[in-house]
Amino acid sequence: MTPLVRIEDLTVAFPLGRSLLGTPPMLKAVKNVTLDIPKGSFVGLVGESGSGKTTLGRAILRAAPISAGRITYDDGTNHFDIGQMTAKAERAFRAEAQLIFQDPYAALSPRMTVRDIIAEPLEVLGLTHSRAETDARVRDIAAKCRINLEHLRRYPHAFSGGQRQRISIARTLAAGPKFVVADECVAALDVSIQADILNLLKQLQRDLDLTFLFISHDLSVVAHVCDYLAVMYLGEIVEEGPTRAIFANPQHDYTRTLLAAIPSLDPDQRSRVVRN
Amino acid sequence: MTLLDVDNLTIRFKTDEGLITAVEDVSFHIAPGEVLGLVGESGSGKSVTAKALMQLNGRNTVYDPASRITLHGDRDIDVLGLRRERDMTPIRGGEISMIFQEPMASFAPALTVGAQMVEQLRIHTDLSKKAARDLSIEMLDRVGITEPQRRIDQYVFEYSGGMRQRAMIAMALSTRPRLLIADEPTTALDVTIQRQVLDLMRDLTAEFGMSILFITHDLGVIAQIADRVAVLYLGRIMEMGPVRDVLRTPAHAYTRGLLNALPDLDNLDAPLTPIPGDIPSPLERPSGCVFHPRNPELAPGSRYERDVPPLTEVRPGHVAALFPEDAA
Repeated sequence: MTPLVRIEDLTVAFPLGRSLLGTPPMLKAVKNVTLDIPKGSFVGLVGESGSGKTTLGRAILRAAPISAGRITYDDGTNHFDIGQMTAKAERAFRAEAQLIFQDPYAALSPRMTVRDIIAEPLEVLGLTHSRAETDARVRDIAAKCRINLEHLRRYPHAFSGGQRQRISIARTLAAGPKFVVADECVAALDVSIQADILNLLKQLQRDLDLTFLFISHDLSVVAHVCDYLAVMYLGEIVEEGPTRAIFANPQHDYTRTLLAAIPSLDPDQRSRVVRN
Repeated sequence: MTLLDVDNLTIRFKTDEGLITAVEDVSFHIAPGEVLGLVGESGSGKSVTAKALMQLNGRNTVYDPASRITLHGDRDIDVLGLRRERDMTPIRGGEISMIFQEPMASFAPALTVGAQMVEQLRIHTDLSKKAARDLSIEMLDRVGITEPQRRIDQYVFEYSGGMRQRAMIAMALSTRPRLLIADEPTTALDVTIQRQVLDLMRDLTAEFGMSILFITHDLGVIAQIADRVAVLYLGRIMEMGPVRDVLRTPAHAYTRGLLNALPDLDNLDAPLTPIPGDIPSPLERPSGCVFHPRNPELAPGSRYERDVPPLTEVRPGHVAALFPEDAA
């Protein structure tokens, strides 16, 4: 079976400043990465700051330049070559693949009602043809994201972090994407709320038949929601495999260091994963 | 003998929407050389409490008249009684130092790290410029910054994230404070760097004999650094006691809820259990026990909806906001 997203030998490089003569030096944020994301999977991408995980996620959504290599998206009916899309193809791709942002405080316009925030992608992409149709889609996705429908008329400032993230997720899913990149989407939330959002994402994945690329620095969160894991370090994937296998038996030194650094809840143990 | 006593601390803020309660009737102490963890989610009042120790809260802050903060020493300091800016010098970088989550915000960008370290030593000690510089280099070395003689003359933007945090710790400790307030000092760091910073802080407490008030939302970090822990929710202490006791046998439903909400790495199949509901807005402060609307263990009509439970001892030195009949 072909994967939904296939990344082949991808390099993303950014110029470091400008040079008067010749080409400026380039910073390779992602180096020769190859990764398959199967349909219906929940793939975790972990790494520390500067590892290139966000850049990789952005490249798939065509928000970072592809310097070398190829990214393809194929759901059986639609086929996109991310680096070579026409304007028309790009529009179609925008409805297929979407991003959930990290900070639900910055992601929602304070001047729009919750209803308008969720409706905006439908209107921009021209997916609905009447206000009644838009309203119906908004109410449907809001209910799936467990948003109180009475709240649709309110403005975001009235809501807590957890409620805002549910609104942000509803907006992401409004256009009916099949592939979602979630970049640190629980990092800004309180512990007691985090679990609720993670459970919601898993539920939505099953109900809406979604495929997730879940980017996070938090290994304990990733361990719980992702079935497959790729560990990035300095722009490269140093280890990948089923989550369980990686936690049980990490192969790469960097993965081991990362796992050993998760602080244990037991004051007499240093690490939560690696016993020492 | 304690180093710091906080008694009946109640902090409110004047806002356009009325008086908001941020901290309510909070009392705790810190012994010399002890690390007290203050753990809580947004709105728990943990940072407001820390800032009160240095009188750093804004002009719209109202301290309840019964609130007392006392720093013991040769001469006791009544922190909330200090009125003039110059009287506050000892609690702002002298006897008490503070480190923050974002080290970039703690250093001035246009001065070298050394210039800032020397300046604060000149304010808080009577060291000469030369001696202050030597001590600063020694402190940078002590926190593991390589080539401190060269690094001291660099600007903070030339440092990596972990180095900035180390430099901030070096600066905070160079005046040999008796109390260090650390407000989420490792939250913005990668886990591998967090581990190094926690180890460093542990070593330095032992070496300098200072006390730490360590503020974080992360129970794993608390387990690794604290001797005792106080769990705050909406400005009230829900539970407080020795860290092993509280984490292994939590007495309050909120502490249990926080622990259960964390992903369990020993059992990846276990479902994640959120605490029901959301943290209420500060304008809608619940009556009785502030946690009662989210407490799944309470029956409707429970006494916790009306009355504020006292901090009751559940084991020696371990208290929880429970009525005595529930503390058995």
